[in-house]
Amino acid sequence: MKNRIVSRPSSVFWILLVLSVILAGALSLLAGPMDHPPEWVIMRLRLPRLLLALLAGSALSISGSVLQSLLRNDLATPYTLGISAGAGLVAGSVIVSGLIVPVIGLVAAGTAGALLAVVLVYALAYRSRRGDYGPTLLLAGITMNLVGASILLLFEYFSDASRIMEIVRWMMGDMAVIGWGKPLFLMPPVILGIAVALTRTGVLNQISQGDDIAHTRGVSVNWERNLLLAVAALLAGSTVGVVGPVGFVGLMVPHIMRRFVGSDYRYLVPASALGGMLLVILADSLSRVIISPAELPIGIVMSLIGGPFFLVLLLRGGRRKQEDNPG
Amino acid sequence: MSALSIINLNAGYGNNLVLSDISLSIVPGEICGLIGPNGVGKSTLLRSILQIGVDYSGEISICGSRLSSLSGNQKARMVSYLPQNFNPQSRLTVAQTVLLGRHPYRSGWALDSEDDLEIAEKCMLETDTWDLRNRVFSNLSGGEKRLVLLASALAQEPELLLLDEPGSSLDFRHQLNMWLLLKKLSGRGIAVLVSTHEVALSGRYLDSVLVLSDGRSRAFGSPSDVFTTEILSEVFNVNLLVSHDTANRSWVIVPEMEQ
Repeated sequence: MKNRIVSRPSSVFWILLVLSVILAGALSLLAGPMDHPPEWVIMRLRLPRLLLALLAGSALSISGSVLQSLLRNDLATPYTLGISAGAGLVAGSVIVSGLIVPVIGLVAAGTAGALLAVVLVYALAYRSRRGDYGPTLLLAGITMNLVGASILLLFEYFSDASRIMEIVRWMMGDMAVIGWGKPLFLMPPVILGIAVALTRTGVLNQISQGDDIAHTRGVSVNWERNLLLAVAALLAGSTVGVVGPVGFVGLMVPHIMRRFVGSDYRYLVPASALGGMLLVILADSLSRVIISPAELPIGIVMSLIGGPFFLVLLLRGGRRKQEDNPG
Repeated sequence: MSALSIINLNAGYGNNLVLSDISLSIVPGEICGLIGPNGVGKSTLLRSILQIGVDYSGEISICGSRLSSLSGNQKARMVSYLPQNFNPQSRLTVAQTVLLGRHPYRSGWALDSEDDLEIAEKCMLETDTWDLRNRVFSNLSGGEKRLVLLASALAQEPELLLLDEPGSSLDFRHQLNMWLLLKKLSGRGIAVLVSTHEVALSGRYLDSVLVLSDGRSRAFGSPSDVFTTEILSEVFNVNLLVSHDTANRSWVIVPEMEQ
């Protein structure tokens, strides 16, 4: 038998990951204020909510890992390019305006806002200089983020109290559902986005090496980059439109998964999808039991638990990296 | 049939013309050097062959096929490239990085085949990077990164290999090994076009040299024809002393003492 020159993630890892998602899903159906919830609570509240968590988790973390390849930066997230800000601004203004919009409107608003933000940021960075525009792209994205957030705050400032409550809840991450509307409308864009991302993992690997190298391997770099940016915007935008700008998932999940499967996007993208599902289900379940019978917003739970956890990982990882480096 | 043929190439970026009226032909197994001062257009010449962001007119053919008639994938199976720009922060391992060179030979989702693994192993052994195979790319030294990328370029199994200053940031041993490796590859029939500033060292290994000056071809021929005090001093705009030891096939090139 030949020695393997590259290690692949073992099948045990994949099985454990899938089992954890299933187990967490089962737990989340039981998590809540009632010991023996009636069937309609499960069928009309918790099951659709579980589906929403699966979609949101996989969409946000895949969006993050795609952007990390395109920007060649492990710290890129849907926030870095202003995708979340664009989605938040458009979807948020729809909510502030007080129009009664169906869920599909929020999905569309979020996606449109996200795409608009990407196009704007990209056009700005592209015009500014030729060649490697990674750093410019990041700066334009961060600016977009700040401006978007401020405009949304401005709208809030001028709207009346009841609207403010609604938008604040949404901005903190709102997973509450009644019936199947939200998850079912979110499903098509998310599934489409995931499908495209999964077929482009080889291309993501090439682009992560540098545009010149990707080009000489036969990748149409510009076309693929535009397609993948649109996919990242579709995934994060539609999700933010429905559940609000939930942070940390797109950053934390790919980062943790890199430790298990390495940086090969053929493994990282599917692992991030599963890891994102797991994280959002767990955070959502927690948000329902911490101060039961009331709920905490998932965005706050995610940041309060995820933040410190992530910092510990970073500090430990930093030490290990130094040991690995001979210089 | 020539591996690379360039006829009357004018190339540049937008309105900024960098190269004019360059013609060049390289046969399989030939190592051709590109020599010239910084910014003279050596990289631009390589990049117009690869069609990376350069506007050009003129005719470029690879192995008898015109560039415009080839798809990106077809080209990727014939030509590979060791660039100066790459992502030094890549977190892939060395073995994974080398395997990425197999991309033009597979479709979409494919995992690495036994063939891919064997070819990658061979390329790593040849480039002296086998012992690095489990290291993370971003943790390597600059010279090691060059060698790993060369291994991945070889994994593309090219007919024509383009290298943009491959020896920069390599130590003596690795520089020498790089040239010996190029010699070995040319022995297999691979045509090599390499831009370099190691003029003296390259003289021993190059079959032909194109000297560029002000975006034009200043001289073309074998190293013994071209590496002369007159040509090199003029092109680099420095008074150089060039001495050629024909017995050892080696050159010594030093600047004259300042007055």
